[in-house]
Amino acid sequence: MSEYVTLAIDGANVRAPHGTSVLDAALDYGICIPHLCHMRGITPIGACRVCIVEVVENGRSKVTASCTLEVEEGMVVLAHSEKILRARKNIAEMLVAEAPNSRAVQDVALRCGVKEVRYPFRHESCILCGRCVRACSEIWQSKSLGFVGRGSERHVALPFNKRPEFCKRCNACIDLCPMTITPCPGPMKKGEEALCGLCEAQMSMAEETPDTCVDCRLGEGFHCVRKSPYYQ
Amino acid sequence: MSAITSIADLQKLAEKKSRENQAYSKIVTLCAGTGCCASGCLPVLASLRDELEAQGLAQKIKIRTTGCHGFCEQGPLMVIEPGNTFYRWIKVEDVPEIVCETLGQDKIIERLEYIDPASGKKVSCETDIPFYKAQDRSILGQNKVIDPCDINDYIANGGYSALVKVLTSMKPDGIIEEIKESGLRGRGGGGFPTGRKWEYCRAAEGSPKYVICNADEGDPGAYMDRSVLEGNPHAVIEGMLIGAFAIGAEHGYIYVRNEYPLAVKHSKIALVQAEELGLLGKNILGTDFSFDIKVARGGGAFVCGESSALMVSLEGKVGEPRPKDIHTTEKGFMDLPTNLNNVETWANVPSIINRGAAWFASKGTDKSKGTKIFALTGQIKNTGLIEVDMGITLREIIYDIGGGPFNGKKIKAVQTGGPSGGCLPEERFDLPVDFEALTEAGSMVGSGGMVVMDESACMVDVAKYFLNFLLDESCGKCVPCRVGLSRMLEIITDITEGNGTEEKLGLLKDTAETVSLASLCALGKTAPNPVLSTIRYFQAEYEAHIKENRCPAGVCRDLIHYSINEDNCNGCGACLKACPHDAISGEKKEVHRIDDDNCQKCGICKEACKFEAIIVS
Ligand SMILES: Cc1cc2nc3c(=O)[nH]c(=O)nc-3n(C[C@H](O)[C@H](O)[C@H](O)COP(=O)(O)O)c2cc1C
Ligand code: SF4
Ligand code: SF4
Ligand code: FES
Repeated sequence: MSEYVTLAIDGANVRAPHGTSVLDAALDYGICIPHLCHMRGITPIGACRVCIVEVVENGRSKVTASCTLEVEEGMVVLAHSEKILRARKNIAEMLVAEAPNSRAVQDVALRCGVKEVRYPFRHESCILCGRCVRACSEIWQSKSLGFVGRGSERHVALPFNKRPEFCKRCNACIDLCPMTITPCPGPMKKGEEALCGLCEAQMSMAEETPDTCVDCRLGEGFHCVRKSPYYQ
Repeated sequence: MSAITSIADLQKLAEKKSRENQAYSKIVTLCAGTGCCASGCLPVLASLRDELEAQGLAQKIKIRTTGCHGFCEQGPLMVIEPGNTFYRWIKVEDVPEIVCETLGQDKIIERLEYIDPASGKKVSCETDIPFYKAQDRSILGQNKVIDPCDINDYIANGGYSALVKVLTSMKPDGIIEEIKESGLRGRGGGGFPTGRKWEYCRAAEGSPKYVICNADEGDPGAYMDRSVLEGNPHAVIEGMLIGAFAIGAEHGYIYVRNEYPLAVKHSKIALVQAEELGLLGKNILGTDFSFDIKVARGGGAFVCGESSALMVSLEGKVGEPRPKDIHTTEKGFMDLPTNLNNVETWANVPSIINRGAAWFASKGTDKSKGTKIFALTGQIKNTGLIEVDMGITLREIIYDIGGGPFNGKKIKAVQTGGPSGGCLPEERFDLPVDFEALTEAGSMVGSGGMVVMDESACMVDVAKYFLNFLLDESCGKCVPCRVGLSRMLEIITDITEGNGTEEKLGLLKDTAETVSLASLCALGKTAPNPVLSTIRYFQAEYEAHIKENRCPAGVCRDLIHYSINEDNCNGCGACLKACPHDAISGEKKEVHRIDDDNCQKCGICKEACKFEAIIVS
């Protein structure tokens, strides 16, 4: 039996087994902390920083990613403080400007209340969330993919840029890649990128009640409890 | 040589070495640190040896090659004792004269004396040089009296007595208490209380435990750690031994930046020598305390200096930071409890044990104790490595030690804390060097870089420069740092090119705040400092760029224009010859003209003109 701890997330008492991440614990209780690089079952790396939260201790708060933060007895977490919402929105804005062509990223941006993108759009084909890399090495024990390069050179690559013998052709990398879910109106053309914003209803919900579900398609791939079979 | 097992053995060795030294009539201390090696001290050393031999003085005069003295711009330099005579910019040709006149007949060679640029006076004694006078060189000062490749030199100066004291008369908890009481805080940038870190690591479960010395030092222009490790490796090793004993660690690493071959060489020699004397390895000093140290070469990136990245890199993987919600003192190298401290932090430990916590705590401010080494550079008269008491004001450092501005310009700002520190304006120069005070002002003590800038610097351009460096060094793992910094650079580049707007400035600020709040490691968290601090203190410069398309310092190429003042131009043609882009025309003795289409705004003509006829506007 694993030991349970009790913590407070946005004022709600949450019980979770020792070793759970704050993000997973929150999601299990239906507190939707937007996230992108995290996936249950593989090691979190805290890369996208969308899931940031404030942890309050002795009157001082520290900002950290909730996917890499383990629950602790008596922990006080704020997932939707003003500070967090502002930073998260800005991160989502950066992400959608990097990859306007991804439904997953568009949804996250929407979820974080982004209505206007102030950065010029870039047209990256990968946002370096590392889902594929981790799934490949951790679930399939294959290590066919890896990160190469540092800083702005960083990218995902195959060894010697060739599909290796040991690739199991499981396609997990493609299934899990947030770039593969293209936005509803289809792929955007270069130079014509925009924040989709076609779902007005979602927009208004995103603005007013940021911690309720906006029924994003992401739920499926992202194991959001509201989309899980248990919930329905 | 037999192993040391008691304080008496150590004293015997120290006395023997001192007697040896006393047998010489003079000791010539020649700096052979990396800086002086670059300016040619090795040929000087060789010819000094030959010359002493030739003049029959080799038995009477000792040459001691040491680590860096800190005043590298004056190198190659030497100090002759007794007399404390200081010579600088020594060339091979000077050596015969030095040997014959100064070493043979006690005559001072005026040509080699130091001239104080502030007063224009010659100074013959090293201790009278203003650059050294205002300093408190408790760590760096040892470099001068120690040959880093000779453990006996270190022992003769009281070395390893703290280790003996600790092993024979102190308990681990007592040591940690002493360090806590001294108020020592990490010198690697974070300023974390060292005693507390040791305590956490001692309390952590897991075995074996590790102790690591961080000598990665990736800040451009910083070389404090290199100089300490090169010049006094035993102090670092002794500090690590004491720490390991207090923490209960069995193994140690010195993680040295790849570009520091001399530091690697000297630490390796020192480790072998310490082991030969039984000061390192199994059953140290005959007790049951065993500890070994290995030297590891750095991964070659700035971010490898960050604690978690360093440990990952030490494990042989790519040096990327990992989330630190679990401290490395609990799960560090190989997921085992690991205590990492900076070179300078370790080097402070032996003197705290020897002289007591109260001695250390008597220097500094309320929360920042002891001394700190800085690499002072920029547009001032004296540059080099300096060690000062915490609490000294920036003004004292810049004007008393640094000698103030050269070429009559006004000093405008100082950038402290390395690339991710902040820029503080003249109005803030009375701030003390103190972890909290500098952080509050938007900068930091950091690892100890200090760059002084005068009016000729454009603060927007300075911010852009540091941003560029940090973006280059970002590991790229997390979004705020990788994407956020590149967006910030995009905006600031727009501003320097005259495409800035008020909105973009607002976005720059928003982005900077997000990056510092949400980044994974301290590189990202501190990276916006140069931008935020320049916006805070030099807003007017940003506004001039944005609203008036003007760079007040005349630095940003797209906003400046070169022309020739007809009244001052006498047609000498110096500019025409100097211009690499054929942008200047004019007949001899006639007023010259700059062709805007060809002008690349390199500024070479301005340097070439002796009549101040080239105007930048
Ligand atoms: C990007 C980055 C680079 C760093 N580089 C160094 C370094 O070169 N040397 C160092 O001692 N500490 C460096 N640090 C600080 C270390 O993470 C760590 O705090 C320090 O080594 C701990 O030792 P201390 O407590 O003695 O300062 C760096 C931190 C960051 C975020
Ligand atoms: S390829 Fe897709 S899954 Fe892999 S890192 Fe890039 S965005 Fe993430
Ligand atoms: S803050 Fe920068 S250096 Fe640190 S993990 Fe993120 S990308 Fe890497
Ligand atoms: S989901 Fe936590 S950082 Fe990406």
